[in-house]
Amino acid sequence: MRIDRSQRTWAIASVAIFLISAATYFVYTRSSIAGPRGGSTIGLTFGVAGFSFMLFAALLGARKRVPVWRLGRAQAWMRGHLWLGMLSLPVILFHGGFHFGGTLTRVLMAMLIFTVVSGLFGAALQHYIPRVMTTDVPFETIYDEIGHVRNLLLEESDRSMEALCGTLGVRRTSQEETQRAGGFTAMRPMTTTTKGGAAVAAAAEIVLLSEEESAPLRRFYLNEMRPFLERPAERRLLLYDAGKAQIAFSGIRTLLPARAHATIDDLQDICEEARQLQKQRRLHHWLHLWLLVHIPISLALIALAAVHAVMALKY
Amino acid sequence: MATATSPPGLVTITIDGRPMSVPAGTTVFDAARINGIAIPTLCHLQNETPVGVCRLCVVDTGARVLTASCVRPVEPGLKVETQSPKVLQARKTLLELLMSDHPSPCARQEHSRDCELETLAKAAGVAEPRFAKRSVARGLDDSSLAIAVDHDACILCDRCIRGCDEIKNNFVLGRMGKGYSTGIAFDLNAPMGNSTCISCGECMVSCPTGALTNKGVAGTSIAPSGDNQGFDAEEILQIPVFKGVSGTFLELNRGAIVKRRYGAGEIICREGEFGSTAFYIVEGAAKVSISTPIAHVKTQGGARGFFKRLTSTLVDRREDVRDEETRDRTIPIDASVDLNYGNPVASLGPGDLFGEMTCLNFYPRSATVRAESEVVAYEMLRNVLDIMMKNKTFRAQIDANYRERALENHLRAVPMFADLSPDFIAHLKQTVELQRFAPGEIIARQGDAADSFYLVRIGFVKISENYPGGEMVLAYLSRGDYFGEIGLLGGGVRTAMCTALDHVEVVRIAGSDFRDMVARFPNVRKGLEDVATERLQANEQRLKTVHSVPLDQFLSQGLMEAQSLLVLDLQKCTRCDACVNACADAHDGVTRLVRDGLRFEQYLIATSCRQCRDPLCMVGCPVGSIRRRNSLEVIIEDWCIGCGLCARNCPYGNINLHPFEVVSEDPDHPGRTKAVVKQKATSCDLCTNLEEPSCVYACPHDAAHRVDPKAFFADVIGQSSSN
Repeated sequence: MRIDRSQRTWAIASVAIFLISAATYFVYTRSSIAGPRGGSTIGLTFGVAGFSFMLFAALLGARKRVPVWRLGRAQAWMRGHLWLGMLSLPVILFHGGFHFGGTLTRVLMAMLIFTVVSGLFGAALQHYIPRVMTTDVPFETIYDEIGHVRNLLLEESDRSMEALCGTLGVRRTSQEETQRAGGFTAMRPMTTTTKGGAAVAAAAEIVLLSEEESAPLRRFYLNEMRPFLERPAERRLLLYDAGKAQIAFSGIRTLLPARAHATIDDLQDICEEARQLQKQRRLHHWLHLWLLVHIPISLALIALAAVHAVMALKY
Repeated sequence: MATATSPPGLVTITIDGRPMSVPAGTTVFDAARINGIAIPTLCHLQNETPVGVCRLCVVDTGARVLTASCVRPVEPGLKVETQSPKVLQARKTLLELLMSDHPSPCARQEHSRDCELETLAKAAGVAEPRFAKRSVARGLDDSSLAIAVDHDACILCDRCIRGCDEIKNNFVLGRMGKGYSTGIAFDLNAPMGNSTCISCGECMVSCPTGALTNKGVAGTSIAPSGDNQGFDAEEILQIPVFKGVSGTFLELNRGAIVKRRYGAGEIICREGEFGSTAFYIVEGAAKVSISTPIAHVKTQGGARGFFKRLTSTLVDRREDVRDEETRDRTIPIDASVDLNYGNPVASLGPGDLFGEMTCLNFYPRSATVRAESEVVAYEMLRNVLDIMMKNKTFRAQIDANYRERALENHLRAVPMFADLSPDFIAHLKQTVELQRFAPGEIIARQGDAADSFYLVRIGFVKISENYPGGEMVLAYLSRGDYFGEIGLLGGGVRTAMCTALDHVEVVRIAGSDFRDMVARFPNVRKGLEDVATERLQANEQRLKTVHSVPLDQFLSQGLMEAQSLLVLDLQKCTRCDACVNACADAHDGVTRLVRDGLRFEQYLIATSCRQCRDPLCMVGCPVGSIRRRNSLEVIIEDWCIGCGLCARNCPYGNINLHPFEVVSEDPDHPGRTKAVVKQKATSCDLCTNLEEPSCVYACPHDAAHRVDPKAFFADVIGQSSSN
């Protein structure tokens, strides 16, 4: 979720709650002879409030499981999750009087800090990465479709090459009609400055190079480009790097007649798209993989916090 | 004049040193042929008047120049050389010239290896012509369903023209153009499929090259099966309605028409299935029906309660009235009858033709036809159906059936015609004209004088208007829809362009009858005027929208015309797919939203109906159940049969099929029922019945929004221009 002006109300409310809590804690520590204790009335109030905040934050996951239930807009829950989850840390610290206590409470505090920090890390990622993905990956497609689109790109490049250089002798995986990522949608950006429609490409001129003419391109394709399209995550490959790829394609252009340049442009575009899809995958992992840590720890935190509450109240 | 030694009436000549006597008036070509001397020719056929245009039959008669033997009558004492080096050289040069313009191998040579020109050229040893090819192509004419015309392969021998005129007396073919662009022409140079050609096939049989060839239709043979009674051209031609059909053509299209026999209860065709054939019932009775529930998908429940979830159910229009839902009493199907909304069942009998739309336009079957008694029917492919539809006898019977059985329903289906008196309907039945239009043909042109009112009988008519920046499709009209009233009621000028999208048949009511009708029936006039006013206002509103929008891009994507759009802010969206899951959750697990679509700056216009300028989803619906509201939003009527054509046609993937389990008649066990899955087309309605669409409500990142496109894009454009 983006942290922007739309968060103002929640931010002000959170700061207010924090200040009130801090003031209360300050007065409480001053007035308490034995110092701040979690078992005192105020300490328990902080504990209940902090646990409630943690519980509310944890309920976001449950809320997402029933998206159609009219329980309040999901974004309100998300804001609550963010701000109340963050507030839970100082409130719990006030609850314990900044003492970590026994083993259980120490573990609980460590988990709380880890959960809040991982949450803040995730919030920061979700604030920045969508913007990066939007600007850097104009060929973005649906994440689950990336593998399929890559296969299509490979087939498209094979066809382009065979149309230009003759048979390559490579094995095809399918005979599907190829289209660029996302098919008709392609998620290609339109802008306010775009002139005219670019939806229909001009019919390509049919060019077939002789074996001698096509030899450099054929070598480049089989040794560099095809391996890259098959394994775009391999950093050691020349075309993994956009700058090196640009240089490589420029070099290839100088070795081939001008009538082959349109196909080379196309191949370069295909590589660019494959690189973008790789970047999308990487960014997608950054966007979501932190949740694999944040969610289990937070669930464990809630469970242990409940145990702590029961034990503290009972004994 | 005969010589003294010749028998009376005979002329003695010498060909290649052989003296012979032939009747006076015989041509040299025929004299040689009678005496077993072959002279090559391309333009000459035995049963056609010789014209001597190809000059290939030239012979040496000792005159200053060689002469065409097919038009040269014999003279007493004439000495003819048919194989002299001079003659052979002349023929070779002629063949070389003809071959230089010939697309070798032509269609005929490729298929049957009997192109006369190529055969002669090969025999004469003409390999690669030395002459340059014609620089201007004369083109192909693919408009006929039966015959392919390749003008480039035409050698202008005129054999087809003489076949059409002299043998069949149809007088459709002639010559057109001058110089290099000379070619054959149908009527006044109309495409063959749109001309008065009845596809008798005589031209095709006469043609020596691949210029006129029997057209192969995808899957020209009907698949054999147990009930396939095979093909017998003689037997078919004995049936009265097939009289006049060319036996040659039927023979050439063996396999494109078969006789089938169905036992009582057997299904002849099933709704929703794709096919390519039409059926003509010769004997027996059949029942035509729609088995998909006559209802639409309604999503309801849970919006107010905490734990009640949304469910999608099927409800009919009596239980759930939607905005601008049609109140038609009949459901248009691909047969000579329409079905009743309340009880969608009708009967078909001998002389009935059904499946025309499927056959001509490859649309899915609109209804299930089941034999009630033993049924004998001819199943035919589109090339045969096309020939049949051009056959006067067959055509007259089909038209009579239509006038008798469906025209009244069609007229009554137009809401304002409900009040027409029976005597006026009877009058219209006699006076209306049934017209056919080929794909792309213009029925009425914007700005022309309005002289008729049209009712669509078969096919789809595109109604569009030109405005600065392009063409706006106002509607696709299908069977039962009508057009032309605005021009007749208004200034007498057509306000929109009406074009046949596929093979279209319309019922044309002449302007005089129309005026008579509106004069006699004030309610009809008022109804038509109301509709005309409503349509004009809607058009004006659309044009206003179009003029106020500066971006062609939006227009071309149909974005600005939407009433509301689902927009995802990609800078906020974490690609968590909560929106997609919410949509699926709200619609029984069938999502109507795919997080993909057009991208504008940082916004993704997610797939949901965007009320396109050219609503392709509406093209081809076999029962005409998808149409636009005045607001341009799509509405799917109750009688959708779930064939899925609209979903396939929508370029944005915005139409989905929602499966429902319903109890239906068991086709294998008549009289019994069983649970089957039927589908209904649905499209995203942005949860208009809810305060907020489920996808927007469920987005935790404030990235999904339902927006008014005009305000939204104006804002975006303002921001980007100020940046």
